[in-house]
Amino acid sequence: MEFGFSPAETAFAEEVRGFLREQPLERFPVDGMDAGYGSGAHSRAFMKALAERGWISMCWPVAYGGQERPMFFKLVLFEELALAGAPFGPLAGSWQTADAIIEYGSERLRREVLPAVARGEATFWQGYSEPDAGSDLLALKTEARRDGDQYVIRGHKIWSSHAGIATHGLVFTRTSREARRSRGFSMFVVPNGTPGMDIRPIRSLTGGVYHYEVFLDDVRVPADLRLGPEGEGFQALLNGLDSDRFWGRFYKAPALERVLRRLVEHANTTGASRDPALRRRLAAMAAEIAALRLLFYRAACLLRDGAPISYETAVAKVYADETGQKLARLGMDLLGPWAPLRAGSREVRLDGEISHAYLTSLGHTIAGGTAEVLRTTVAVRGLGLPAEPRKA
Amino acid sequence: MDFRPSPAQQLLVATARDFLKKHCPPERVQRVALDARGVDDALWQRMAELGWQGLLVPAELGGSEGSLLDVILLVEEMGRAGAPGPFVPSAVVATSVLLACDNADQKKRLLPAMAAGERIVGVALADEASSLEVDARGRLTGRALFVEAAHVADALVVAARAGGETQLLLVPTDRRGIARWPLEVIGPEKLFEVAFDGAAVSAEDRLGSSAGRRGALQAGALARTAEMVGAAQRVLELAVEYAKTRVQGGRPIGGHQAIQHACADLVRDVDASRGLLYAAAWRTSEGVPAVADVAMAKAYASEACLTVARRAHQIFGAIGYCEEHPLHLLHKRIHAASLDCGDAALHLEEVAQAIGLR
Repeated sequence: MEFGFSPAETAFAEEVRGFLREQPLERFPVDGMDAGYGSGAHSRAFMKALAERGWISMCWPVAYGGQERPMFFKLVLFEELALAGAPFGPLAGSWQTADAIIEYGSERLRREVLPAVARGEATFWQGYSEPDAGSDLLALKTEARRDGDQYVIRGHKIWSSHAGIATHGLVFTRTSREARRSRGFSMFVVPNGTPGMDIRPIRSLTGGVYHYEVFLDDVRVPADLRLGPEGEGFQALLNGLDSDRFWGRFYKAPALERVLRRLVEHANTTGASRDPALRRRLAAMAAEIAALRLLFYRAACLLRDGAPISYETAVAKVYADETGQKLARLGMDLLGPWAPLRAGSREVRLDGEISHAYLTSLGHTIAGGTAEVLRTTVAVRGLGLPAEPRKA
Repeated sequence: MDFRPSPAQQLLVATARDFLKKHCPPERVQRVALDARGVDDALWQRMAELGWQGLLVPAELGGSEGSLLDVILLVEEMGRAGAPGPFVPSAVVATSVLLACDNADQKKRLLPAMAAGERIVGVALADEASSLEVDARGRLTGRALFVEAAHVADALVVAARAGGETQLLLVPTDRRGIARWPLEVIGPEKLFEVAFDGAAVSAEDRLGSSAGRRGALQAGALARTAEMVGAAQRVLELAVEYAKTRVQGGRPIGGHQAIQHACADLVRDVDASRGLLYAAAWRTSEGVPAVADVAMAKAYASEACLTVARRAHQIFGAIGYCEEHPLHLLHKRIHAASLDCGDAALHLEEVAQAIGLR
């Protein structure tokens, strides 16, 4: 057992902290809303700054411009950025897409998309959900029809985060009707602005825009923008969802730790810290956040060692989201009558961060697999309980 | 970072699991739990032969020279098996106090015998449950509550006020002026009120000022956390097995989402508790400051593992309500462990201070 970091990891953490000291976060304009996951707002300028350090591509093979650093460097970077509240919103998605392209992307994707990712320019939206395909993702209707050396995509995607400000969509489609439910799906990397693509914002309960819906009206894409072999997109997607749960939530623990520190400071200032019940709630949150962090590091060790993952990322994802909701709720209780004030309002406390977190956190147990779907995954895949019979 | 126990620790865990399966099966745990004395001397002796009681003790004092992390892994297995006996008070807390004290004679006299399973030393260290005082003439007066296994203890480590400070004393239980009264509790552990009515205390009983108390209680808190995690792990295994095999309405109850989701929450609670436990035990073993880590681990497990046991009662339905079913003993053990060496409220206050609450 070993719960510390290696000297190289510690040195890298210090390097990241140094970068954050030199580059005050106010310098980076924000292009898209912070959805509360812990990765902050969407800021192209910040992605560029990370790219200039070589950090976006640092774990890639040298052949693709990387430095082949170990995976834990990504975790260190995430932790330091989240603890600082930096706007690195698109980073996890960029990393995941790049990894998929490196693993089974075409030459064209490797040549055109990877360098743009490394420069911090390419960011991605996920075109998975559809109006009638949410938790039952395989009920999707979007089709990609082969036509010579092109595919013609037709369908309607929804709940795609930052689709309007990203550069490419990862569009999950049906490419054939096969008897087996999980066969016949393919994924495409579709540049925004391709003719036939119509991206429309959906205003959320926060008043801001995070999600978009995307209409694909006979969108023509070259065949080599397909990610992976035709018809085997589902396996790729599953791997993607597994890693989505991990990479899309890893930074939640340090982000919650940052919020907890602010709440402690606030409680000290107002004198609420003398209330024994509140002390216990805050202390219990600190323990939960520490437990959350360790659940993710345990999953990280399994991923690093190539050990099988059955339920560990699903447990961690549910726990991250529910702990985040609990902390936001506690924050609202602590602020009392000031709790509903928005960022920018007179009299607002903690920059309005808590009311925003309270609202955004409501979506977290839904996005990327609902808490219910994931608990079923834990029970069936992790504990071997019998799956519920499914209608064909 | 690495969550896997070392090969030697894996061997220790595997050996412990096999041993406890053979020498401490559920029927035996049940029998000892219902027995008025509540201690299994043969099991205690066999454990000593494996070096368990001496795991924290250096070789020159007859011990097997393990680390605190080894002890934690072992106690987790003991909690999983529901093994009876005063292992945590004697082999962890009292042993830690003796190791840290500067009374070389007592160390030499007691630690080898404790490691060999020949002597048991109980503890009365909790402030809130004792009112012990040594007067100017060296007489110990007052009473200590919730002292585990005082009936089989050869001696007790007690914290008593003497002048302006707290002193640690080692008092033989057969000394004049000491009375032990059993308390009736819901669980299998045997607790006592120990009354001191002017018991004589000499220089050789003194273990020094209370310096070693905090470290010993931390080791005890970790051991109690390990016990809870082990017991909760067992509850999880039993519940999942039951959910797979109990058929109602033509299919296993574990095929229903209501039960599946309950089981998923058991895994989360056990895994999260274990993560905090291992991290805190590792840091303590490495000599890294870990006061807040230990407090978080104990407070968290106290809540989470008890929740596991309570949720499992709902999964088991009526059968879990029976005395012959193992669930209630695991549940009661978790509850008792959550109180010893600092309850959740005490540890949460420790955490509150560590995170900067004024």
